[in-house]
Amino acid sequence: MSLLALAAPIALPLALAVALTAPQARALIWRMMPFAPLPALALALLADLPAGAQADWLVLGLHLGLDEVSRLFVIFTALLWSAAGASARHWLRADARATSFGVMFLMAQAGNLGLLLAQDVAGFYAGFALMSFASYGLVLHSRDMAAQGAARLYISFVVLGELALFAGLALAAVQAGSLLLGDLRAAVLSDMAVALLILGFGVKLGIMPRHFWLPPAHGAAPVPASAVLSGAMIKAGLFGMMAILPLGAVAYGDHGTVLMAAGMVTIFAALLIGVQQGNPKAVLGFSSVSQMGILALGLGAGLMAPAAWAAILPVLVYLAAHHALAKGALFLGTGAFAAQTGRAGRLGLALALLVPAMVLAGMPASSGGLGKETLKAALVAGSPIWLPWLVVALTLSGVATTLLMARYIALLWLAPPKAPAQITPEALLLPFLALAGAALALPRIWPVLAQDLAAPIGQAAPGSIWPLAAGVALASAVALYAHALRIGPALFLAHLTAPFRAFGARADSLLAAKRRAGRRLGHALPKALGETATRWRLGQTAIAGLIALVLLVEMAASLPLSGMAPDTPEPPAFPLIDTPQSSILSPDF
Amino acid sequence: MMDAPLLPLFILLTSLLAAPVLFALPERAAKLRTAINLGMAALKVALVAWLSLKVSQGVSYDLRFAMLPGLEFKLQADPLAILFIALSAVLWLITTVYSVGYLEHGPHRARFFGFFSLCVAATVGIAMAGNLFTFLLFYEMLTLATYPLVIHRGNAEALRAGRIYLIYTLAGGLVLMLGTLALWVLAGSTDFVAGGMLAQLAAANPLAAQLLFVVLIGALGIKAALVPFHAWLPIAMVAPAPVSALLHAVAVVKAGAFGIMRVVYEVFGIETAQALGVTAPLAALAAVTILYGSLRAITQDDIKKRLAYSTVSQVSYITLGVALASPIAAVGALAHLIHQGLMKITMFMAAGNLAEGLGVKRVSQMDGVGRAMPGTMLAFTLAALAMIGLPPLAGFVSKWYLAQGGLEAGHPWVIALLLGSSLLNAVYFLPMLHRAWFRDAAPDGAGAPGRPRIGWMLAAPPVTTAVLVLVAGGFANAPFSPLEWTRFIVAIEYQE
Repeated sequence: MSLLALAAPIALPLALAVALTAPQARALIWRMMPFAPLPALALALLADLPAGAQADWLVLGLHLGLDEVSRLFVIFTALLWSAAGASARHWLRADARATSFGVMFLMAQAGNLGLLLAQDVAGFYAGFALMSFASYGLVLHSRDMAAQGAARLYISFVVLGELALFAGLALAAVQAGSLLLGDLRAAVLSDMAVALLILGFGVKLGIMPRHFWLPPAHGAAPVPASAVLSGAMIKAGLFGMMAILPLGAVAYGDHGTVLMAAGMVTIFAALLIGVQQGNPKAVLGFSSVSQMGILALGLGAGLMAPAAWAAILPVLVYLAAHHALAKGALFLGTGAFAAQTGRAGRLGLALALLVPAMVLAGMPASSGGLGKETLKAALVAGSPIWLPWLVVALTLSGVATTLLMARYIALLWLAPPKAPAQITPEALLLPFLALAGAALALPRIWPVLAQDLAAPIGQAAPGSIWPLAAGVALASAVALYAHALRIGPALFLAHLTAPFRAFGARADSLLAAKRRAGRRLGHALPKALGETATRWRLGQTAIAGLIALVLLVEMAASLPLSGMAPDTPEPPAFPLIDTPQSSILSPDF
Repeated sequence: MMDAPLLPLFILLTSLLAAPVLFALPERAAKLRTAINLGMAALKVALVAWLSLKVSQGVSYDLRFAMLPGLEFKLQADPLAILFIALSAVLWLITTVYSVGYLEHGPHRARFFGFFSLCVAATVGIAMAGNLFTFLLFYEMLTLATYPLVIHRGNAEALRAGRIYLIYTLAGGLVLMLGTLALWVLAGSTDFVAGGMLAQLAAANPLAAQLLFVVLIGALGIKAALVPFHAWLPIAMVAPAPVSALLHAVAVVKAGAFGIMRVVYEVFGIETAQALGVTAPLAALAAVTILYGSLRAITQDDIKKRLAYSTVSQVSYITLGVALASPIAAVGALAHLIHQGLMKITMFMAAGNLAEGLGVKRVSQMDGVGRAMPGTMLAFTLAALAMIGLPPLAGFVSKWYLAQGGLEAGHPWVIALLLGSSLLNAVYFLPMLHRAWFRDAAPDGAGAPGRPRIGWMLAAPPVTTAVLVLVAGGFANAPFSPLEWTRFIVAIEYQE
C-alpha cells in the first residue's frame, strides 16, 4: 500500500481548507465539501488489510496504516463527515462566517481521519490535537453567549485532555520502548500510564465526571458540526483506548472497576440531567454521554478481564458505528426539522426522526437492540460479580434512552430550534435520510463490511421490546404528570373528565334533538296526511271503496253455504241486571 | 577554493568586518547598507552550510593564537558550535531583512546596523569559542554590542532599561571572569573538552569544584535569565522589535544557555557534574524558572512583555535538559535551542508587525487582528501552538524528548513539570489566539480595516520562520534537521 493512498485522506481536507481561504475558490470548495472524506472511504473499502506505509523523515517517524478495527472506524467516520459536509453546505450558505467554519470543519476532519490512520504515537497525537483544537471554532461559531460559554468549557477540557494524553503517551512510549501503537498495545504499561490515557481519552468520550464540556458544546455548535462532534469525534476517545491500551493482554482490575462504575453512573446520571434540558440538541448531547457510558462498561470489563476482550471488541466497534449513524441522523434531522416551516413537513420529519430515535433506544432487531444483546452475551465471559449489575444497567439504559428521546422529540415539537434564513429545506433532507437509512440498515450492512468481526452480532437475539415500551409508557406518564402539574390538579382532573362530560352532554343534546324531532313529526304527520288525503280526493275514493266493500259482502252472502245453517241456539242476552252476586254493595262482603 | 582550515575565522569575519563598514557609511546610503547587510548575511549562511557539511563528514577545525603563556585564543568548529552558528546565521539573515523593513525611515540606522553586526559576530564567537577564556571575550563583547541596540529609541524608558541591562550583564561578566580565572588557576587550562576535564579536581577537592560550578553557572544564568536573575529580560523588551527578536531567539539569552551547556558538558563533564551532585539543584532551579516565567506571563497585557516572560520560561527548558543528565533529555535540550529560537523570533516579529501595521501593542487590543493581518497572525498562531507543544510542530519534539529523558533518568516529576508548563502556555497563548481569530474588531479599534498594510520585508520574515517551525517539527527525523544534528552532538558529548 503506497504512502500516497494512505496520506490522501488526510491531505485532501487540509488542502481544501487552505484553498477555502482564497475567495475565488470558495464556491467550488463548498460544493466539494461532501466529497472531502471520500478518499478515506474508498481506502477503507478497497484496501487489502493490513495496509501500512511509513515515512521515516516525518515527525518522529510517521507510520500510517489500516487494520480491521480502524477500517470500520474510518468507514462510519467518513460517512458521517460526508453527510455533515453536505448539510453544512446548505446550512451555512448565507452565513457571514461560513469561511471560518469551513476551514475549521475541514481541519477537524483531517485530524479525525488522521488519528484513525496513524499508527505511531506522534502521528496519532497530532491528529487528535488538530481535531480537538480546530473544533473550538465549530463550537464557538455562533458567537452568542451560550456558544462563548460552551467554547470556553470545551477548550479547557481539551487542554486538560491533551495534557493527560501527552503524559500517558510519553510514559507508555518509554515503557514499551517504541513509538508504534501496535507495540504499545502489546506492552505491559504501568498503572499510571493507563490511568492517564483513560483520563485523556475519557474527556473526549465524555465519561463522567469529564462530560461537562460535551452537552453545551453539542448544543451550541451549528447542526452539521454537532453531528460530527457527537457522531464521529467523540468516538476518537474509544478508538484511542482500543488502539493504545493493552486490552486483552494485561488485566487492570482497578482501572476496569473505576471505568465500569463511571460508565454505570454516566448512563443514568446523564438521563437525570438530560431530561431537564431545554434545548433539543443539548438533550441529544446528554444522550451521547449516556451512550458512551455503555461503551465505558465494555471497556471497563475488558480491562478487568482480558479473556473477555476478544468477545467485547467487535461489539464496541459495532456500537460505535451504531451510535455514530443514529446520532448523526438525529442531529442532521434536527436541522432539517428546523428548516421546515409548514405543519405537514414538521409532522413528517418528526415521524421520520422517530426511526433513528427508536434505533438508538434499542428497538428489537435494530442495531441498538442487537448491539446491546451482543454486549450482554460478551460480558458473560468477564467478571461474574459484576455481571448481574451490568445486565440490569444495559437493560435499563434502553429505558433511559427512550426517555431522553421522548424528551427530545417533545422539545423539538414545542420549541423548534432556529434554522438560518434563506435555506432550502429539501437540501437538508438527503443527508439526514442517508444517515437514518444507514442506521436502520446497519444490521444488514454490517456482516458485509465487518466480515469476521460481525459474527457475534449475527448470532445475537433481537433484543426485547419491553425497555422501549416501558420507556414510552413512562414518558407518556411523565408528560401527563407534567401537564397536570403545569395546569393545576383540579383543572387537570377537569380536563381528564372532560371527554366523559362531553360525551354525556352530547348524548343529552342528541336525545333532546330526537325528542324535538319526534314532536315535530307528531305535529306534522297528521297535517301532511290530511293534505295528501285531500290531494288524493280521499272522500270519493273512500265512498267508492265502501260501495265495493258492500257489493263484496252481498256477493258473499248470496253464495249457497252448506253446513253453515243457523241451527246453533241464540246466545243469551247480557246478564247485567239479574246477576245474584252483584258486587260491591253485597251485604256479606 | 577557499582555504578550508580558516573557514571558522571567515564565518566570524563576515559579520565582524561588516560592522566598521556599516558604521562608516553615511546615513543616506540606505541601499548600499542593505546590500552589504544582506550580502554578508547570505554569504555567512552559505559558509555555515559548507562548514556543517564538512563537520558532519568528520573534519575538525581548530584555530589557536597564543595570547599569554598557557592562555590561548581558540576557535573550534565542533558539532555543538555548528548548531548555534547555524541558528544565528539563518536568523541573522531573516532578522536583517526584517530590520531593514522595520527601520526604513527611522533615525540612526548606521549605528543600529553596525552594532547589530557586532552583536551577531559576538554570538558566532561565543559559539566557536574553544575555551572559556575565548568564550568570555565574546561574551563581554556581546554585552557591550547589545547595549546600544536596547537603548536605540533613546527615550527615558529605553535608557532605564539599558541601565538595568548593563548592571545585570556586566555583573554577570565580572563573575564569569572571576570564575574563568579560578578555573585557570585550579585546572591549569580553560579548554572545552568533550567529556569534561575536571574529573581529577572533583575527586581531589569536591568543594572547590562545587563552588566553581556555582560561580560559573550563576554568571551564565544571568544572561540565561534563570530565576532570580531574570528581571532584566522583561524590562529590555522596550528595544525595537528586531532587537527583541534577536535578543530572545539567538543572542543574549541563548548565549547564556549555550554557556551553561559548554560548562556542564565540556568543562565539568556530565559524569563529573553528576558525581558532584550539582545537576539536581540546577534542574530544580530550571524547573522553578520554567513555572515562574509562565506564571508571570499570564498577567501581562503588553504583548512583548508576555512574550519576554515566556522566554524566561522556555529558555530554561534547555538548562533543564542539560541538568537532567540523560542523553535523551540532552537531545531535547539542544533541539530546543533551535526550536525555541525559531518560535520566539516568529512571535516577536509578529508582535512588531502588529505594532507597526495596526498600532496594537497590548493583548487587550488584539480583537480581530487575524482578519486584518492574516499572514502575520498565522505565523504567530503556529509558533504559539508549537510553544504549547502540539505536534507536528517544533515545540512538541523538544518536549517529547525532555519527557522521555526525564523518565529515562528516573525523574518522573519532569512530566508533571512539562504538563504544568504546557498548561500555563495554553493559558497565556490561547486567549491571544482567541482574540485574534474569533473576535470581531471594535469598529474604531486598532484592528479595524482600512489601515495601511506593511511591506513584504516585514510580512515575509515571520512567515518564513513559522514555516521553519513547521519544518523543524514535521521533518524532525530527516537528515540535517535540528533533531538529527543534536543526536549527532549528544553521541559525542556522552561519548557513545
